[in-house]
Amino acid sequence: MPLKLGPISSQVRRMAQALADQSPLQEAYLHQARQRLRNADVDQLRAKLERHLLRQPRFPWLVAKPLDAGLGFYQQGLAGTSKAPPAPAEFTVIGTDGSSIPPDRHSPVRYFVLNVGYALLTYGPQPNALLDTQSRLCFEDKDLYVFPERRDGAIEGVLFAAQMEAESLRVLREVVPDNSRPTVVLRDGPLTLWTLQNEKDNVQRALLRDLLEGMSFLRERGIPLGGYVSFTGSRDVTNSLRVWLCEGQPNQCEGCTSPDHDLCQALAALRDRDLFAYLEEGERSELFAGSSQILKAYGDQWVDFFYANVGGEVARVEVPRWVSLNAEQLGLLHAVIHDQCQRSPGFPPYPPALLEAHEQAVITMSERGLVDKMVEQALGQLGYPVIRSAKDDSKRRRGV
Amino acid sequence: MTRIGEIIETMSTGFVAESFELNHPPALGSLVVVRLPGAGLVSSTRQGGEGAGIDLYAVVTYGQTAGIDPSRRAVRRSTDEVFDGAIYQHNPELERTLRTEFGAALVGFGRSGRVHQHLPSQLPPLHFSVQEPTSDEVVRFTERLQYLRLLATPYLASGPVSSAGQVPPLQVLSANVRWVYEARGGDRVWLDGAAREIAMLLKSDYEALLTVLYAIEPAESVGTLEGS
Repeated sequence: MPLKLGPISSQVRRMAQALADQSPLQEAYLHQARQRLRNADVDQLRAKLERHLLRQPRFPWLVAKPLDAGLGFYQQGLAGTSKAPPAPAEFTVIGTDGSSIPPDRHSPVRYFVLNVGYALLTYGPQPNALLDTQSRLCFEDKDLYVFPERRDGAIEGVLFAAQMEAESLRVLREVVPDNSRPTVVLRDGPLTLWTLQNEKDNVQRALLRDLLEGMSFLRERGIPLGGYVSFTGSRDVTNSLRVWLCEGQPNQCEGCTSPDHDLCQALAALRDRDLFAYLEEGERSELFAGSSQILKAYGDQWVDFFYANVGGEVARVEVPRWVSLNAEQLGLLHAVIHDQCQRSPGFPPYPPALLEAHEQAVITMSERGLVDKMVEQALGQLGYPVIRSAKDDSKRRRGV
Repeated sequence: MTRIGEIIETMSTGFVAESFELNHPPALGSLVVVRLPGAGLVSSTRQGGEGAGIDLYAVVTYGQTAGIDPSRRAVRRSTDEVFDGAIYQHNPELERTLRTEFGAALVGFGRSGRVHQHLPSQLPPLHFSVQEPTSDEVVRFTERLQYLRLLATPYLASGPVSSAGQVPPLQVLSANVRWVYEARGGDRVWLDGAAREIAMLLKSDYEALLTVLYAIEPAESVGTLEGS
């Protein structure tokens, strides 16, 4: 057995013990952190964050910026909560999720497959469900390159991942029903494609096009969209709190003499889901604006987010700015997420629309092999030799 | 023509079909029919021609509802407020993620107006429709009772042992007799004939015979089970 489980086992025990040892101390810091969140001055925090972001455009942390309080936000301060409104008597929720067969450099021909699963669930007097996928084989230059005319910017790695994410909104045009029933779209994962932030502007624009067009389409139809992130690891709000506590330059902690130094260091180990664990089931936090560099390419569809206790975990929900500013759409989205999680058979709950979309999207190993075979057969029929890399060939044979 | 299912597994002795209605497979022991155009029948591209069509008759041997994806088991969904039928209203995706299937044992076929009570030479084609037979067909097919031997064969061959979840063969046989008796409008003469046929089949196994005879005896009104 190549993996030596003996040493791993004792290390696992030590890791668990370390976590248990830290737990009481973390609770105390969490209590303090929530107190600070409750007492923070919204306008002053926003001004402080903006000052730092202006001074350091590539700010080392992702922070949560408060929105404009003049628009009706933060009436109970930054730690304010809202209960989920009741869901309408009749509504539709559409969940989308994507999977893919990524480009294989060992294959004799360059292609990839994008597969978007979706679940269209209608609740009310006439409940209904539509579960399906849209599958697309991408093999033309216009699919394989960001700039097909000069065969530049091959869609692979980070770009491919972004393409996959964008695809899950692209298909909505063909999926969203044309009716007057209240409808909500949930996407599995964030709306902020932050992995593109180090790419050039024209690459960002090209890869975000489908995503932003999908979002615009929903805005025109008056359908709120939420990017649902289960068990989020985000630290945007805790980072903002650290900035709030900081008397000097955030992230330059050497020689810090602030009385809040220990709290600040403790916050570095906490996640927003810990901070917002005070939310009661069904409640959501206030809205915050994301600060990822990539959002500058989103134009007027800047992404905000809130946290919601869905009954067993605190999930992060990302929304376009046009949802943040529309109380009715925001309420509908919150109500439907709460309703979905109440319908979930599992614990912690997960929206059934996303669960079924995922089940639809999954590409099994045998299906992957089948596509591989179809490509080889099609090439073979046209007399093209199917040559794979020696490395790939040796892995397939695995002779001893 | 009432289509009730589609064949998803097929073999010379019977088939498995997916029911069109979730949780409502045809009754245990009921007669179902698969209608094939033409004589050769197995080619999926053949559309009639080549002689008379064949109607394959089969008896439902089990029903089962489970997840379409075998790796996804059903989980509890009821709450204090939402239970039983309301669960399906509350979770519309269940209609797409669960399926009901039923198995059927072939017991004969009809061709050119003649009924044959033995296994057909060809198996029913995959993906063909399973239908409810007409009342006349039920009467016609069950005029003769040799098909009961095909139903008893699994028991006669292997005894009372059946694998987990399988309906014991004698229970399928009994269910069929009860179903036909009702379908023939409470035909007591037919029932007596069926009982005699079964008595001959199980003459060397008194306990098994009693099991069937008790099971096919028409129910008499003895008050409700909930008591007086």
